[in-house]
Amino acid sequence: MIKAVIIDDERLARNELKKLLLEFPEIEVIAEAANANEGIEKIDSLNPDLVFLDIQMPGKTGFDMLAELDKAPDVIFTTAYDDYALKAFEVNALDYLLKPVEPRRLADALHKLHLEENREKEGGEDEIQANRSLLHEHDQVFVKDGERCWFVKLSDIRLFESVGNYAKIYFGSNKPLILKSLNALEERLDEKVFFRANRKHIVNLRLIEKIEPYFNGGLLLEMKGGEKIEVSRRQTVKFKEMMSL
Amino acid sequence: MRKSSKYYWWLQIGGWGLLALILILINLLFGQRVDEQFLVGVLVKVLVGILVTHLFRIYIHYSGWLQLPVEKALLRLVIGVLIVCLLDTVIRIRVIQWLDPNAGGSKYLFSTRFLLMTVENGLYIIPWTLIFFFFHYIEANRKQQLDTLKLEALVKELELKTIKSHINPHFIFNALNSIRALIDENPLRARTAITELSNILRSSMQTEKQETVFFEKELDIVKDYLALEHIRFEDRLKVQYDIAEDTLTQPVPPMMLQTLVENAIKHGISKQVNGGTVIIVSRMKNNYHQVLIRNTGKLDQSANEDGFGLISTRNRLQLLFGDHANFRIREVNGNMVEAELHIPLT
Repeated sequence: MIKAVIIDDERLARNELKKLLLEFPEIEVIAEAANANEGIEKIDSLNPDLVFLDIQMPGKTGFDMLAELDKAPDVIFTTAYDDYALKAFEVNALDYLLKPVEPRRLADALHKLHLEENREKEGGEDEIQANRSLLHEHDQVFVKDGERCWFVKLSDIRLFESVGNYAKIYFGSNKPLILKSLNALEERLDEKVFFRANRKHIVNLRLIEKIEPYFNGGLLLEMKGGEKIEVSRRQTVKFKEMMSL
Repeated sequence: MRKSSKYYWWLQIGGWGLLALILILINLLFGQRVDEQFLVGVLVKVLVGILVTHLFRIYIHYSGWLQLPVEKALLRLVIGVLIVCLLDTVIRIRVIQWLDPNAGGSKYLFSTRFLLMTVENGLYIIPWTLIFFFFHYIEANRKQQLDTLKLEALVKELELKTIKSHINPHFIFNALNSIRALIDENPLRARTAITELSNILRSSMQTEKQETVFFEKELDIVKDYLALEHIRFEDRLKVQYDIAEDTLTQPVPPMMLQTLVENAIKHGISKQVNGGTVIIVSRMKNNYHQVLIRNTGKLDQSANEDGFGLISTRNRLQLLFGDHANFRIREVNGNMVEAELHIPLT
């Protein structure tokens, strides 16, 4: 059973989608929300597997809402017609449905979702689901930087860099800013994968290319993207301990 | 070309005629003899002058000097003038000899006479060339200005067409989506909604042919439009009308009110979590037809004043009613945005 939440500011649009989803018994609509703030509340409390999300809503857009979440659920966007949003979709290949929704397109979108879910299961995800507040490396975050936005798997992020109150995250060839402090991030990230190298950087241990000795008994890490990060002396001891395990 | 050729002949004959007249007058004033030989000389001078400058003109047109940039044309022109002067001299000497075989034996040597005559020709030919080019320069300039004006008018016309036919696709698809949901929930309302939507679509297609429509017709579209938006927004949208009877037959640009109301929804109501009110006022005020569209919300300073919609609204009013029409948008009471149209009575 897939638990879904519908977020749309129009009651009729939510009803219409619910009606369409009756054809798919594996989807259970567990809640509805009429704006972004309600949406965040419902997602945080109910932890759904899937969110149907309208983009243009009063107060905050669907994109803004996602960027505020620590951990992004799977999302299928719904929109009537919107040049701006369509452009964002084209760039990032996010899945979206145009209202009025065509039943066949809905089936396609849900089908794609199932495939991904199965793949994750195969990857041996069932280890420990115990601590929900901790971000797993297979979790994804939604990142919005100006007009561009991405769903990023934490395992694809090789580096977090502190920039004042913001953190710059490095993945692929992108390095957008998110409004989160490095300390807050460190608390939520899995320390087996994400290591605090120094005051300004958290690195993904699985995406290190090279390790070299550095001054004062420190280390210099070269990441897969070519960034060179210094490990402070104090952290070097911890780093060596972890790597020898 | 026809017209400028007519001018050309008037100027050509008038100019050379004037020259002949001046030569004769000077001779009279200074007590010189004005006999048959002198008059023949003047006549030959004028006719040969017309001939060579005409040939020169044909050549200039033929080789396209008028299109050349000034610095390139200048050198060609100097050489051209020199050749024309020489040609003039040669022809005149030939003609004079042919008329009076004895005239050659005057007090000057042939070479001196040749030189003097060429310099004298320069006195006519150089001004002729200057006038010729000046005239053409002015003509070309005026034509260019005319072309620019025509182009501007075309652009405006095209702009008007695109504004008129503009109905926000976002609205259409949202409306269709709501109607689909209504079909089960409230079939009766769904039926009227389809009528309302088709009214809007039809009038947006028809208005492309008209410059202005009665305010009443425009208001009907807006009522249909707001009825549809009410289906979408439900309690979040409240609408108030305050329409004076005598404004119903006033002419207004088609789809202008509609566009402004659409903006009131898009930038105002749809951004308010708790929704808001749209108020439409139409009344006579000091010989003007005043239309106000008020909506809950704040004026988005960053995007607004230069927005395409606002600029084109202003342009359309100006095109149709001139400087007396007016449009402005401002914030009132801190939580309302008011768009105001001022249209002179006709």
